[in-house]
Amino acid sequence: MDVTLEHYLVVSGVLFSLGLLGVIMRRNLLVIYMCLELMLNAANLALVAMSRYNGNLDGQIMVFFIITVAAAEVAVGLALIVALYRRRQTAHVEDLTSLKS
Amino acid sequence: MNYSSMMLEVAVVVLGLGLLLADLWTPIEKKRNLGYGAAIALALVLIWSFQWKPVEDSLQSMYVLDGLALFFKRLFLVSAIVVLIMSVEFAARMEAGISEFYALILFALAGMMFSASANDFSLLFVSVELITVTFYVLTSFQRNRLASLEAGVKYLIFGALSSAFMVYGIALVFGTAGKMNFAGIAAMAPQLAGNKIFLLGILLILVGLGFKIAAFPVQMWAPDVYQGSPTPATAFLAVGSKAAGFVLLLRVLFTAVPEVAAHWTTLLIVISIITVLYGNLCALPQRNLKRLLGYSSIANAGYLLMGVAALNDSGKSAILYYLGGYVFTLLAAFTVICVVMREVEGEDISALAGLNQRSPLLAAALSMSMVSLAGLPPLAGFFGKFLLLKAVTEQGPVNSAYYWLAAVLVIGAVISLYYYLGVVRAIYWSKNPPKATSICVSWPVQIALYGCIIGMLYLGLFPNRVVESANRAVAALERPGPMTAVAHASGESR
Repeated sequence: MDVTLEHYLVVSGVLFSLGLLGVIMRRNLLVIYMCLELMLNAANLALVAMSRYNGNLDGQIMVFFIITVAAAEVAVGLALIVALYRRRQTAHVEDLTSLKS
Repeated sequence: MNYSSMMLEVAVVVLGLGLLLADLWTPIEKKRNLGYGAAIALALVLIWSFQWKPVEDSLQSMYVLDGLALFFKRLFLVSAIVVLIMSVEFAARMEAGISEFYALILFALAGMMFSASANDFSLLFVSVELITVTFYVLTSFQRNRLASLEAGVKYLIFGALSSAFMVYGIALVFGTAGKMNFAGIAAMAPQLAGNKIFLLGILLILVGLGFKIAAFPVQMWAPDVYQGSPTPATAFLAVGSKAAGFVLLLRVLFTAVPEVAAHWTTLLIVISIITVLYGNLCALPQRNLKRLLGYSSIANAGYLLMGVAALNDSGKSAILYYLGGYVFTLLAAFTVICVVMREVEGEDISALAGLNQRSPLLAAALSMSMVSLAGLPPLAGFFGKFLLLKAVTEQGPVNSAYYWLAAVLVIGAVISLYYYLGVVRAIYWSKNPPKATSICVSWPVQIALYGCIIGMLYLGLFPNRVVESANRAVAALERPGPMTAVAHASGESR
């Protein structure tokens, strides 16, 4: 069986939906953050597949940008979640309720 | 690519790195004064930016330096200068690392300046992320305050989610168009206008940009983050990040996919109506000044989206003018909040009682900015709303939905009178003001406040020059580039 562009796009769409579902349903900040990374990687997969399909390297260059930015984002984000955990001893979104009108 | 056209951004980045280095040799008690140095250096960069002329023939490159880009770069520089002065005032409330705070403001500024010039989806993504990731740190900078941490985490989750949407949208657009460049996509757009995957990609990108401007379906973060963040970070978020979102929105909608923008008029109209009503109605019961401004910023995003929905040149130049006035107005308001709320924890409106006796300048600046936000003459906000109304009603004969849009603009402005004037009433006519201890206002803050007041008055009383320069800047968006023309010709011959 040949693996065509559609297969890659379907896998990337499934990954993206799984990530989105996780962000909406999960209550732990770390798990939510992992799901967000899953969504970014779904986009990476789609970009690489389409770059190959179009015969144009721009998409693969974009993937490098995304990986770099995601690394920076993870560094900042995990530090933030750890700082919150130290303060509240919790990483659950239900406990983030100190900001109210 | 010609790197000499990026010298303004390079100067800002070098300044930020230099600030981090200078921090190593500065004694602790002098560190907060580094902010004044950075503000002065940015003022020099601002003066330098007036030496630059728009470059016309760079449409195919990733980075353009047209009139629109220069207009927004100056806007960002002005706001960063005031925000730096504000942060010096705020320094006592951060336990450590004030130089990093200044440097992060400069890096966010560099991201905004790059975004003003973005002509390519990869530069768009990288500059948006540069802004967003620096703001994750800026919003949560007061690590010992739970509210600040919470604001940071909320901004982090929403920001990462919206950038995931945007990246997936870029992937879909790249897959269908085969290009990242806005001009290249514009050349392909007539064939792609019916392609569902391409349209889904554009929609996802708009969701990502809508997060930056706090437009309706992705606005939930704004009130919480505005309330919890350190005041200078809130001010920069409200002014710079929103303006960056709008310049990117203008470029994507009107340079890359003008056909799609014309198809989606109804969507844009509905979103701006909901955004205006949501922001204004939710702001009514608020007692926390920063949270109130958070909802008001949602409402203002709705007004600005009306200029986008109008799809004509007067709408776009109204957006530029409105943002110009908005910058001065909000910076004045946040500077006053930053100084007055030094002793109070909650930022409640009642803390403003008797402010006119404690410091007439602060009272005048805050009430002027509230009056300007409410859209009363003779200040900048009035003329901005007037221009938007004019642009929207101009389109009325084409589509009667625009009359509804104009009606919502007026209704929103009337609703907003209640809560903006409530703040003014708290300043001047409070029932039992506490005993008056005068607030000492340092001279850089005075300069910043007088600058903002002059800006509001100048834009309100003599709008012609700014409107003209906004018109010139907007003309750059519609210019058919050499590449577009060639691609059209080859498409027809086939």
